[in-house]
Amino acid sequence: MVKFIKLLINEQLKIYIRKSTWAMYIILAILIIGFAALTNTFEDTNKYTEDNWRQELQNENEALLNENKEFQEDTGAEDDDFYISFNMDTIEKNNYYLENDIQPLQYGAWQFTMDNRGLLSVVSLLTIIIAAGIVASEYRWGTIKLLLIRPISRNLVLLSKYISVLLFAFFTLVFVFLFSLIVGTVFFGFEGIDPHFVTEKNEGFAYISVISEIFSGYGYSLVNLVMMATFAFMISSVFRNSTLAIGIAIFLMMAGNSIVSFFGDREWAKYILFANTDLKQYADGNTPWIEGMTMGFSITVLLVYYIIFMALTWVFFTKRDVAGQ
Amino acid sequence: MSNVAMELVNVKKSIGKKEIIKGLSFSIQKGEVFGFIGPNGAGKTTTIRMMVGLMKLTDGDVKILGNSIKSNYKEAVREVGAIVENPEMYPFMSGWQNLMHYSRMIPGISKGRVKEVISLVGLEKVIKEKVGRYSLGMRQRLGIAQALLHNPSILILDEPTNGLDPAGIREIREYIRKIAKEQQVAVIISSHLLAEIEQVCDRIGIIKNGEMISIQSVKDQEELEQESLSQVQLEVTPINHAMNLLKEKYEIDAEVNDQSISFEYNKADIPKLIQFLVSEEIDIYQVEISKVTLEDKFFDLIGENVIG
Repeated sequence: MVKFIKLLINEQLKIYIRKSTWAMYIILAILIIGFAALTNTFEDTNKYTEDNWRQELQNENEALLNENKEFQEDTGAEDDDFYISFNMDTIEKNNYYLENDIQPLQYGAWQFTMDNRGLLSVVSLLTIIIAAGIVASEYRWGTIKLLLIRPISRNLVLLSKYISVLLFAFFTLVFVFLFSLIVGTVFFGFEGIDPHFVTEKNEGFAYISVISEIFSGYGYSLVNLVMMATFAFMISSVFRNSTLAIGIAIFLMMAGNSIVSFFGDREWAKYILFANTDLKQYADGNTPWIEGMTMGFSITVLLVYYIIFMALTWVFFTKRDVAGQ
Repeated sequence: MSNVAMELVNVKKSIGKKEIIKGLSFSIQKGEVFGFIGPNGAGKTTTIRMMVGLMKLTDGDVKILGNSIKSNYKEAVREVGAIVENPEMYPFMSGWQNLMHYSRMIPGISKGRVKEVISLVGLEKVIKEKVGRYSLGMRQRLGIAQALLHNPSILILDEPTNGLDPAGIREIREYIRKIAKEQQVAVIISSHLLAEIEQVCDRIGIIKNGEMISIQSVKDQEELEQESLSQVQLEVTPINHAMNLLKEKYEIDAEVNDQSISFEYNKADIPKLIQFLVSEEIDIYQVEISKVTLEDKFFDLIGENVIG
């Protein structure tokens, strides 16, 4: 165990000692500050005060209804048009506040952190880059030879590398979370220890904790992150080429949804990895992409893919001769 | 305990259908410096990769202090320090960080030991600098430091003099002698240049096409040379007459090259032979005597400029 922790220290050191890793964190920091500045400039984040929030919500509703009317007159859109129904949703939500006499929450650090869950795709991207390099780079530098002639089994070396990738993802996630909270506090203020807001759930609108929403939002994104990182790690070990691994993994991550919709009418479409990585499709009253899919089905498919990725990675790394380039 | 540090037993390696290593068997004693010589592509690096477990053996076994690299990998490799091909290190880390990195992979290496090894190879001044800025010689030394960290019983150096200047080569040679003698470390050095390592080795194994074609003791070789035959080259006219005389009197079958004839003969007896030729009115323009060196033997054995 001590041995394994020392291997982990080595791998973490090799990740964090490099300037390119720090550049990743700087990019994330700039994105977070940029989002905060944008939100601060273009949205009135301080409109619901103790005295006027009821009036404010009613004004909003009226304005939205007018907007819809004008939009329908201009374009002749039906009632189920996306734009119309989006506005109607907002009106319903505002009514929920009014009916239940809940003052809408001031925008603040927690909600900003929640809105930043979109950044998890950037975290996925960075994790893919790390996963793609962690084995392939050792081959490129030639250091793989010195790494594998120690009295440590190849299994353990590979495991330390895989765990290191997951640790990197975890640290980066924590960074996004904490930095968003800090930046959010600076820009918008802090809403309190456990703020609540109204959002649409399975059984209609509900008044729930922002923090639990943050965890479920980040949690769902983690599925995709881990799968893509594992995939990149596999390509990296099998082909010993980080560029290839980054390329394929990012392409699939970007094109995943298109691939599923392209084959959407085929019988086997639901077995495609990317049809299953978004477990959120089963929550919050969403309908699954393809009829007949369930949470259990998706988890099974994900597990099968995961085991295949891992098995290929392990077989190629531990059984193969380390020959010259 | 026996004195054998490493033993190869009928080691074979096939890649696809091609047999690259065709059954190597030899052993190396503690404190011995063993030169592993062969032309490029003869199978030196492949053999070394099998010795340290980077490649699997198709057949046979490698035993390190009695532990098989196949069945007892960790115990076996614990006793080996090696540089395989180039001394490649992490360029973005300092020499110190590189050594600490490897020291964490083997239990029982203290910071004191790391410092000791650094001063042993004389890298104190640059150890905090990034390896990316090191010269090849400095990296070679860092490679040796890395291989020595855990006090191995066997040190394997693959082409350690590659890319070094003459001073660097000399330094490495002296250094190898020192650790072999003082710490009873068995050292295996591979090279395709015999001249570079001839002086440092106790024994030299010559490999060609995956086969060990000769193992010679260097010391024996020197003793042999004292009394052995020398290569004699004579520029004489008329050549045919001289050849006949040598054949009749001394039973020498000489070879003709351009204006001269060459043959092997005992150095001590050469003056008499010359006197005889002069007395027979042969004109002698030049006499050249050279020792048959290990290098000549090497070329004899492997053939010049033949690869594979």
